[in-house]
Amino acid sequence: MLESRELGVGIGWRPEIDITVERLPGVDFVEVVAENLNPDHLPESVVLLRERGLPVLPHAVSLSVGGAEPVDRKRVEHLARLADVLDAPLASDHVCFVRAGGLDSGHLMPVPRTREALDVLVANVRTVQEILNVPFALENIAALLEWPDAELTEAQFLGELTERTGCLLLVDVANMYANARNLNHDPLKLLDDLPLERVAYVHVAGGEEHDGVYHDTHTHPVLPEVLDLLAELVKRTKPPGVLLERDGDYPTDTDLAAELRAIRERI
Amino acid sequence: MTQPQRDRLARQQAELLRALLTDGPAPKGFDPGRLEVEAKALRAKRRRVVAMIEPDVCADLADRFVPLFTEYAKAYPRIEGSRARDDARAFVEWLRERGHLPKLSWWQRRRATKNR
Repeated sequence: MLESRELGVGIGWRPEIDITVERLPGVDFVEVVAENLNPDHLPESVVLLRERGLPVLPHAVSLSVGGAEPVDRKRVEHLARLADVLDAPLASDHVCFVRAGGLDSGHLMPVPRTREALDVLVANVRTVQEILNVPFALENIAALLEWPDAELTEAQFLGELTERTGCLLLVDVANMYANARNLNHDPLKLLDDLPLERVAYVHVAGGEEHDGVYHDTHTHPVLPEVLDLLAELVKRTKPPGVLLERDGDYPTDTDLAAELRAIRERI
Repeated sequence: MTQPQRDRLARQQAELLRALLTDGPAPKGFDPGRLEVEAKALRAKRRRVVAMIEPDVCADLADRFVPLFTEYAKAYPRIEGSRARDDARAFVEWLRERGHLPKLSWWQRRRATKNR
């Protein structure tokens, strides 16, 4: 089940930095936001990267697999189709919910870590897996609040999820860092307890503190502390890939190349 | 098999989103400070998207943009299936109705409708 395919070091492809991504040195793979791409009309830049043989991985943000509702099959079919046309080795989304009670939060919301919520999540992930033709990976999110009455730790919750569904993990070390800062979670304990043999790849991103709260903005430089967490992960397992996410306030190509180099130095 | 679980989870998640997006009552057991932090972060993200779609409106309002958007956002949370463009347009209409932006003349309205 586990793809042993090496991914290397990658960056999130965004339309605003398409040419940058094409010419940056040291880009072994890219990720695209699934909702922003039409499988029938792929951006030229993405086609070019595929022609060069770079793996392009679709990453979804709207499946809401942690939501109470059964997953919206249309959204999953879009992701599946995109993974097929990109010939992607895997597809992913987050352990979260985004919609409830007719409202759209507009962001990734944490799921209560209860057995009941886990059962629903497992059922939803299985539906996604039935539709996808490639392995499905799920990412840990950065949360700003915690549900009361958790029955499982985050490691237990994610561990049981992977065990029951066979899904892979997309470990975001920047999100782990954010949760350490904002929720006093212990990121090293989480790394110790996660089934790291199931890691598909790793996310790294920047953020900043604002009014005492650390925000995982993806629009600021990557903090050394986040790279240290990456190094801690690498001490425990060799991840098949590590990808830099940048979603705005784009720096120069030189700065982005330096961030990719800093990542490569840690793995 | 997961229906009773789904129903309970649906209630919990809806209650949380109402609290965060519409100033609904705080759900039991949550830290009120954290709810406030999350509500602000969600609103800021929504506001950034609207500012990107309507940069001129955002610039015209200057210091009034954030408080006015906050008022609008609490009254009109994003509903499932709505798009960011709809949100931006609804905000502009809301501003006009309240006199925060000049009302459109009939020909400007016609042009705005045509461009949709």
